[in-house]
Amino acid sequence: MSSHATPELAFERHILDNGLRVVLHRDASLPLVAANLWYHVGSKNERPGRTGFAHLFEHMLFQGSEHVGTHDHFRYIQQVGGVANGSTWYDRTNYYETVPAHQLDLALWLESDRMGFFLPALTQENLDNQRDVVINERRQRVENQPYGLAGEKLHELLYPDGHPYHWPVIGYTEDIAAATLEEVQAFFRTYYTPNNAVLTLVGDFQPENALERIGAWFGEIPAGPPVPPVSAPLPPLGGERRLVLQDDVRLPRVYIAFRSPGYGQKLWYAADLLASVLAGGRSSPLYRELIYERQIAQDVGASVGPYESAGTFMLVATARPGVAIEELEQALLAAIARAASAPPDPADLERARNRMLTDYYGALQKLDSLADLFSQFTTYFDDPAGVSGEAARYLEITPQDLMDYAAEWCTEAERVVVSVVPRQAT
Amino acid sequence: MAARPPVDRSAPPPPSEIRPFRFPSFLRSRLPNGLKVAAARLPDVPLVSLEMVTPAGGQFDPAGQEGIAALAAALLDEGTARRSAIEIAATAERLGGYITTGADWDVGFLATGLLADHRPAGIELLAEIASSPTFPEAEIDRLRRQRLAEILRRSQDPSALADDRFSREVFRGTAYAHRLVGEEESLARLDRDTLRAFYQSHYGLDGSVLIGVGDFDPEELLREAERAFAGGPVAPPPVRPEVRPPHLAGISVHIVDRPGAAQTELRLGHAGVARTHPDYIPLVVLNTLLGGKFTSRINMNLRERHGYTYGASSRFVARMGPGPFLVNAAVATESTGAAAREVLHELRLIREGLVEPEELDETQTYMIGVFPYTMQTIGDVAKRLETLTLFDFPDDYYMRYLERIAGVTREEILEMARRHIDPERIVVVAVGPADVLEPQFEGVGAVTVWSPEGEVAAARA
Repeated sequence: MSSHATPELAFERHILDNGLRVVLHRDASLPLVAANLWYHVGSKNERPGRTGFAHLFEHMLFQGSEHVGTHDHFRYIQQVGGVANGSTWYDRTNYYETVPAHQLDLALWLESDRMGFFLPALTQENLDNQRDVVINERRQRVENQPYGLAGEKLHELLYPDGHPYHWPVIGYTEDIAAATLEEVQAFFRTYYTPNNAVLTLVGDFQPENALERIGAWFGEIPAGPPVPPVSAPLPPLGGERRLVLQDDVRLPRVYIAFRSPGYGQKLWYAADLLASVLAGGRSSPLYRELIYERQIAQDVGASVGPYESAGTFMLVATARPGVAIEELEQALLAAIARAASAPPDPADLERARNRMLTDYYGALQKLDSLADLFSQFTTYFDDPAGVSGEAARYLEITPQDLMDYAAEWCTEAERVVVSVVPRQAT
Repeated sequence: MAARPPVDRSAPPPPSEIRPFRFPSFLRSRLPNGLKVAAARLPDVPLVSLEMVTPAGGQFDPAGQEGIAALAAALLDEGTARRSAIEIAATAERLGGYITTGADWDVGFLATGLLADHRPAGIELLAEIASSPTFPEAEIDRLRRQRLAEILRRSQDPSALADDRFSREVFRGTAYAHRLVGEEESLARLDRDTLRAFYQSHYGLDGSVLIGVGDFDPEELLREAERAFAGGPVAPPPVRPEVRPPHLAGISVHIVDRPGAAQTELRLGHAGVARTHPDYIPLVVLNTLLGGKFTSRINMNLRERHGYTYGASSRFVARMGPGPFLVNAAVATESTGAAAREVLHELRLIREGLVEPEELDETQTYMIGVFPYTMQTIGDVAKRLETLTLFDFPDDYYMRYLERIAGVTREEILEMARRHIDPERIVVVAVGPADVLEPQFEGVGAVTVWSPEGEVAAARA
């Protein structure tokens, strides 16, 4: 194993009295600082009939707090040349900004105000307005997008009704429309607390000074009640699930999915590496076979969705005009069967490992993605040092691990197949 | 722990002392064969980004051969005198990277990103692809069919339909009117001989640019490049065809019919200016204020004030010739006409009077402050060096760029708006259900309804 696979990423970690965990990593190569806040709440903390709350919050929390006006969060950040955003996932929500280094206090002021002083600014008007924005976002990203509903349907089949990974992160339109002000307030009190959050700073700052400022801005926010745990049994599927969707598309596309262990477990890394072995890059076996040799696919890809207590391993391919979707499905299934019965070609494994290293270093280059990694490892594993060890965890995966994942998890009884086909004229 | 003094939350806290930003130092040179080289050392991570760009983009597509630039560029890494397409991809991917070739409107590009140790092999691979592509028949055929399928896909993609219709109307009769990827008829005509001829006349090293950024010594890269490109292709730089966009007579509305769509893709705009136009920098300041940032006038109006859309933006697309100025949004179908009127209102307003001093100040601080953020990765730095080298800008261009932004005045913004934005001569494109959309545009301008395949379905004055 090459030694530079575990880069030295020095950090300090602290815990405030109210439970807020703080990670500081200094990098003065550019006059910038990235502030990154993870709340350990995602769509899995919602309930059926009230989906989309965590994502709705990603919007609401940019709509002002007691001392920050409705449209002022982005304005303050942009005024100084900063960049801010947030994102929502099944297991967590993140809020982050990168600002010129001399504006660190501004970032801390804004983040602490919405953690500690959000509810006084939450109005019915704001809620109505952002519900409209989210419903538009859902239309644009899901409903009006060719193949847009496939991912959602696939999830519904892979995780049973009532399981917290069953519904989409963005939520269902009728649930978003039904959210009341009281429910939104209760959701905030439960999950957006210092004891359910991690704050990371990466960039050009003096750690002792930064910690003092963090204490000043966040220290007075009271801790919240313990966060209710999410646990849901995930019994095996016990039989293949299939769905054919008609959509306004010209070219049929097939999605094949299996579950994987949760992120951080050995076979999760095996699944991720297997995805790259099979379809990562133009010299990968599936790309070679389907695009270059047989020329039956327009594109092919494989990926693994990382969740805390599961993962979604997915293969997807779009047919060339005139090619039957069954032909593509068989080719993808054959690749999975081979992965279960024989080790990967060493050249393919080397390619997948090197690509992983390149992606990993790529993420370390950017202050905001590095900060996000520190927050991630602290939120999920209480271990900021995990960032340095991430590449090594991939490099430890053996050919046998890839075969074990494919053989144990990618069976016929545990698979979901969703095809999207051109709408039939009625 | 001692009690802390409470913080003052009532207003944004004051900044601390500003830390200066410096553009990274870089090496710039020109090889005897005319190849311009720029290289910078960024030692933070063990990666290298290498790219070569050649003025051979879609603007050079001859009439009847639309898509030849994009197809020729895509074929560069599909076979050389030494290696097959898969061998090329496997070589790059084994070195921890990727290789990609393609074209935009200005240039054809070859790029590779690698683990730093593999830099010399990366340069050789790049030189091999640039110097001895073979354009194998089988790969031409495969990529042609892939493109035909891509055209089919675009006919179902509302955003692509909107972009395509917009370009056809704004740039009718010019080299920017067609799809970069080509048209069904033209792709059928492109064969090995025409592609090779295009390559031979457009890919000479004289006028091309090689950029390297990453963890290595720039002097070393220069020596390696000199060796690797010694036998490179020779051709005089091609003459760039002039793009003279047609005069627009008024506001014309083009509806591309997509029955039942819940959302409409909306575009408004006309031709803008070339990247080298003397007004370019103040124009970017104007655009940032108008529609180029989250808190811009157009986004605040359409998203926050009216809730018509998830996001709306505008931009001047910088090309060697006058690229488009366009406003872009996906809006709720029932609000499309109202959203278009609001955009026209904002375009009229910006021409009517001076912007607020704070508004301009915010925009300038944003643009200057955000610049270091756009310089974080080796790819970011490579992109800046590419622009600088391709357009022969001076070494201190980006430090001067920041100074120029800071010097823009309100009067200049008004002058720019009056000179370069014209809401009365503009193309409006809406992709959505024609029966719902058409009545919404009454009184805006003459409406033409198109089928997704590009045929006129109805025209009303």
